[in-house]
This record gives sequence, C-alpha cells and structure tokens, in this order.
Amino acid sequence: MPSATATTTTKMTSTRPMSVDDLELKRLFTRWQRHGDRAARETLVRRFMPLARSLARRYGSSSEPFEDLLQVASLGLLKAVDRYDVRRGYSFSSYAVPTIVGEMRRYFRDAGWAVHVPRGAQERALKVRDTQERLTRELGRAPTVNQMAQRLELHIEEVVDALAALQAYEAFSLDARQADGREELASYGESVGADDERYELVELDATLASVLSHLGSHERLILRMRFVEDLTQTEIAARMGISQMQVSRQLRRSLDRLRALTRAPVQAG
Amino acid sequence: MAEIPNLRLSLSSSPENVLLVRQALSGLAEAIDLDPLELNDINTAVSEACNNVVVHAYEGSEGPLEVDICAGAPSLRVLVRDHGRGIAPTVMAADDEDGVEQAVGGIGLPVIRALARDAEFRDVEGGGTEVQMDFATARASALEPPSPTDQPQLPAIASDGLASTMALTIAPSALARTVLPRLLCALAARAHFSTDRISDTQLLADTLVAQTDGSLSAAHLGVAIGVAPRKLELRIGPLRSGRAGAIVLDSTVDGLGPVLARLVDAHEVTVEGSSEFLALLVAAER
Repeated sequence: MPSATATTTTKMTSTRPMSVDDLELKRLFTRWQRHGDRAARETLVRRFMPLARSLARRYGSSSEPFEDLLQVASLGLLKAVDRYDVRRGYSFSSYAVPTIVGEMRRYFRDAGWAVHVPRGAQERALKVRDTQERLTRELGRAPTVNQMAQRLELHIEEVVDALAALQAYEAFSLDARQADGREELASYGESVGADDERYELVELDATLASVLSHLGSHERLILRMRFVEDLTQTEIAARMGISQMQVSRQLRRSLDRLRALTRAPVQAG
Repeated sequence: MAEIPNLRLSLSSSPENVLLVRQALSGLAEAIDLDPLELNDINTAVSEACNNVVVHAYEGSEGPLEVDICAGAPSLRVLVRDHGRGIAPTVMAADDEDGVEQAVGGIGLPVIRALARDAEFRDVEGGGTEVQMDFATARASALEPPSPTDQPQLPAIASDGLASTMALTIAPSALARTVLPRLLCALAARAHFSTDRISDTQLLADTLVAQTDGSLSAAHLGVAIGVAPRKLELRIGPLRSGRAGAIVLDSTVDGLGPVLARLVDAHEVTVEGSSEFLALLVAAER
C-alpha cells in the first residue's frame, strides 16, 4: 500500500483579478444592500439557487423530503444574499455555503432529528417491509434489493438502509400490529400449532443436554429449521406465519445469546 | 506521526463505492453512539471528498480510493486518499466564481470546510492527494485508538472472475461488530442476493466477528471481499496458526452443527507465512 506521507500542504484560498461577472455581481449586491432594490435581490437569489439546490441534495439525509430541505436551503441563501459583504473580497459562494449548511443543520437540530427516528425513514422502512412481503408472494421467493428498489422507485442504498433500520427497530414496534410492545414471539403459538408439538418431541432428547435448552421453544424451532433442515428464511417465515425480517431478527438474537452462553475463556497462544 | 486507523477501507473509485463508505460510517456511528446530526455532517463531508476522487482523481477512469477513520479524543479524524492526479487543482477552483455552474461543480471544498472543524489537503508521496478532516464530537473518545505499532495489513484476494474487490482492516472488534454486517449486506445487495441471503450474510458477519475475536495474529481484523454477480468471496485474517479451521469448529452449537459452515457454500484454510486466512464463498442461492 503506498504511503500516505504528506509532503506539501496546499493553501486553500486564492486571489485573482475581478472578472466582468464579478463586477456585475458586485453591482447587484450594491443595488440590493444599499438601495433596497428588490429586483436585484431576486436576480441574485435566482442566480444562486442551483447552489442551494445542490447543497440541499448533498447535505440532506435521504430520509427527509427534498422539498423541505430545499426550502431551508433557500432560506439560508436569502440570509447569505442579505449579509454578504462584497467589500471583503472573498467570493459569494465561499460565504454562502457555510451559511446555507448552517441553516440546514439548525433545521435538523430543531426538528428533534437527533433524538427521534426521522418520520421519513420510518415510513420508508414500512414501505420496504410491505413491498418485500408483496414481492415474496408475487415471485414465490424472496426478492432482491434491486427488485424492491425498482418497485418503490428508491435508490438501492435507501432500501439497504431501510432493511438495516428494520433490524434496528426491534426494540419498539413500527405499527399497530405489534403495538402492545410485547415480545414478537408471544403471538407465535396461535400460528404454529400442531407442527410445533411434533418438532418438540423429536428434538427433546437432543436438546436436554445442549445449550439450546436455554432458548425458548420457538427460538429453537427457527434455529433448527434454518440450520438443520436448511430452509430459507422465507420458507421459515411462511411456516411460522411471520415475516422474513422477524425470522432474521430472531435468528440474530438467538445466535447472539448462544454465543454469550458458550463463550469460553480466551484461549492462550 | 500518522495515526493508525481504527478502520481502513481500500476500494476502487466507483460512485457506488462511495455508498459503501457511507455504510461504514453508519456502522461507526452505531458503535460509538454518534448523534445522527453529527453523522449527517460527517457523511456529507466525507462523501464530498470521496466524490471528488471519483470524478477528478483518475480523469474518467477508476483507481484506488482509500479511507481511514481514526477515533480517539478530541476528534474523529477521517482521511480520504487517492493516488491519481490529485484533487487539489479541483478544490482550488472552488473559490473561482465564473458563473454558478462552475461554483456548483466545485463546492466540495466549502462544504467540507463548513462541516469539519479542520480540513487539510496534502499531496501524497508518489502522486495523489489526501484530504484530512477532523470532526469535533464528544463521542470520538468512545473507541480506543490502536497502538502505534499496529500497522494494518490489508488482506488481498485474487480478482479472477470477480466484478470488483475491496479490502478493509478494522479494530477493535466492537467496531467490526457494527461495520462488517452493514458492509457485507450492502455488497450482498449489490451481488443480487435475495433478502433471505442478505439476512444470512448478516448472520455470517456477526459470526465471523465473534469467532475471530481472540484468534487474530494482528491487532486488526482484515477482510478482503470479492463481488461477482450472485456470489461473494471473502478472505479473513490474519489468524494465528491453527485458528482458521478452529473458528469454524468453534461455531458449532450442539444440535445445529457448525453455524459458520452452514452459512457459507464453501470454506478453505490458506496458510501465509506464520498466519492463516479463512476463505469463504457465499452464493446468492444454494
């Protein structure tokens, strides 16, 4: 791997002679800021709107509606147009970018974005989950992320993020179906029924001495279907009457618990 | 001088790989409980630096894109590096203002400057540019920086028959636990895995991180990943002698068998000097 040794540090500001364009900008700023010419202000805003738009697209989290962000960015642009001091000699965009970005940061902060899962992200996660279920029925097997992204007209990254979010939302429920906040497995009994008993009998002997005995019967059942019978998660989901994502969460949690139970003292050398 | 990174990503400078960098940052955020707003700032600035490499460093073709993340107080440091003609000329143009079009094309630097507490641009010895960004966050100290002697060693993977390859090193395992599953899931999605197999890949990543902890012969967990349509190839190490096979057996649960082996389609131990590597093949369907 090539070395990352720094040899020179680039100076980040540059000065250059004023162009015709700069002069025109300067005139516009003077017309607005000194003489209150609203037409000049409008011209400036229109002219730099692509900058605001570009920043909204860059800074925006994919979970926030773009229109909302653009509005905030435009407000930042207005502030920059009003406050930019043309005599200072630096370019407008080097002043406007931090002003606009600052406006968007404040918006996120005020919206309580730091403490709550953004509403946009929640809604998208629900859409992704529903689309996954619908496509699974249509295709007769689990869809790919590409197929879901196409159906939902989302970017692949957005679907991947939504899937990660669905994993993370384990602690609280996303919709009314699980609104009582109880363990997901609580309702499994009804949907599994007789099948379950058969499994229970078969596995009883093997399990008694095993670490598996520390898990609940449904957790064991899902583990066995996946790792002994080699069923896909979607097949398991169909048998259990739950979603593939619930199977995935359950497997992840069960394996975590098993690892914690069997963790041996760290071997030396 | 240069710190040892907690996470080093070595990628090709394609636009889709910038998304992987963002996934890694999301994993980092989860590991150190970063405020989502701070993550958004870091994501935006780092994406700008990466996009500059994608667009400008290799004049239309692809080349190496390296990202280092160094935790440790008082700030989180991210370095984005290329070995091309460098982004310095481009970012210099950011202060140029011949029309907004150009300004919009070159606002990467002002954005980075607006979001990072400190940003520096340097030439890399032998060609290329390095952008160093420091982000002030109280959570930066949540991860232990690796010791200065723990140089990361990126594992390699033969690229025959693969659409793309990448490598990463990561320490400590608390960081690997949140980063590796995200990266592997994103790559599995790219390789057209079904959601079933993406979830399996996540289980595999969890299992790998847990089983390699304590078995490595270096401070960093190294993972090389090859992506082809409908399959992923992984190479994990360096592991202490005898451990590559042992971690597969160690994943055994009575009544279930070796969980690690069940989640992959093939596994193989390779020896390199005094270390071992575990090679794994994961297919989109069985």
